[in-house]
Amino acid sequence: MKRDAIDALLQLAFLEATITTHGLYEQTVAKKKPVVGTSAASQAALQKKLEAALVSREVTGEVPLTVGAYLRRNRAGQSLRAQDIFSRLGLSANVYRMLEQDRISPLRIHVESWKKLRQFFHLSTDALIEMIRRTHQLVWFRPSFRTTLARYDARKNKAMKASTLEKAARELYTKAALPLPPEEEKKLTSLFTAISEEQ
Amino acid sequence: MPRDFLLLKVFCPLFSIHPYQCYFISFILLGRFMANVSNRQVVQELREGNRLGCKHLIDLYQDRLIGEAVHLFHIPLPDAEELASDVLLTVVNKIHSFEFKKGDTDFHYWIMTIFRNRIRDFVRHRALTDGLMEYFQESAFEENDEYSSTEREVVAAIVRDYEESLRLPDEEKPADDKDSVSGKLQVIAETLEGMETWERVLLRCRALDVPYEEIARYTGKTAKQLKVYHARVKKRFMKLLAQHYPELTIP
Repeated sequence: MKRDAIDALLQLAFLEATITTHGLYEQTVAKKKPVVGTSAASQAALQKKLEAALVSREVTGEVPLTVGAYLRRNRAGQSLRAQDIFSRLGLSANVYRMLEQDRISPLRIHVESWKKLRQFFHLSTDALIEMIRRTHQLVWFRPSFRTTLARYDARKNKAMKASTLEKAARELYTKAALPLPPEEEKKLTSLFTAISEEQ
Repeated sequence: MPRDFLLLKVFCPLFSIHPYQCYFISFILLGRFMANVSNRQVVQELREGNRLGCKHLIDLYQDRLIGEAVHLFHIPLPDAEELASDVLLTVVNKIHSFEFKKGDTDFHYWIMTIFRNRIRDFVRHRALTDGLMEYFQESAFEENDEYSSTEREVVAAIVRDYEESLRLPDEEKPADDKDSVSGKLQVIAETLEGMETWERVLLRCRALDVPYEEIARYTGKTAKQLKVYHARVKKRFMKLLAQHYPELTIP
């Protein structure tokens, strides 16, 4: 389309919602045949991105979740291997394994790794922060969960154990909502500030 | 489709392929390029977390949005691709907040609103970094001698005002004017108000590349007439716009 000063001004006014076409422009776009043909690679990349967002949305829709639960579910959902993830996050295999099992405090993970994780899974900062908080609460209060864990662990039957594990997890998450001591809260806040900072 | 099938029946013996086989192959090949799904289906798939919804969304909208960004709003292709990807990502993330109210096209309008907002953000960013003046001078007036220097000055003044309003920190923006950015472009809307209805529709729609035939349905004039009048109406608009800037008009 030939560009003209008046058209450019009117377009600017349209974008700023100063003028409108009462839906005529949108109708025209719907009828138009696309003139640009994106490459298959570009489409595949976008599809991957959207699918990751879809998975991440499903997960964040079911808060509260810990980082470990999120990683496990995503890894299974996207058919990824552990080494596909930890190498990209800049973590060692052991640390990643502990993180996946919620056995390490998020405070012991470097800020850069959290930023990489956010980018890798296309997570929103708020969702990540919420998960980190949950995970830290879970790790911090773990000693007090021992009785719960022992109770569920006592079940020797494998099938029974699997079904009750879910209940145990729910009970643990409820307990993980307990308020943290102020000094722990302070540490978490500084970590969240660092994560929220733009790259 | 039956007509296509008859064609295949004629041509297939030439290549020793059974028409059914060929029909099946062509169906698969066409399926790569044609997304034969409704907006409702895409929305439902995305809400259910079905990954196929992402593919259908891309098939329906990616090329369309990139095309609009590049050809209409003159955004460079890499930026346009990123912008379209951003729009579709927002759609996936916010799909639960979307509701059909009137019909299947609601979804299209919703996507177009997100798209327009993204383009606006891009233009605002360009205004703050590179400035729009240069862009207007170089591309908008390119090979366009019908505008006088005063008229060019008027356009420059509007663009300058717009850029300045973007640079203003929030606390310095006037309290009575909630959106001072669009307020700076109010002069355009006011000028249009001073014109006849069909002229207004013609200018607004042609700026967004709506075909003359489509505009003709709303103006009571033929497409041919509109084509002829367009340049004149633009000239008139420019003259009316210049009246809002008496200090720039040479006596």
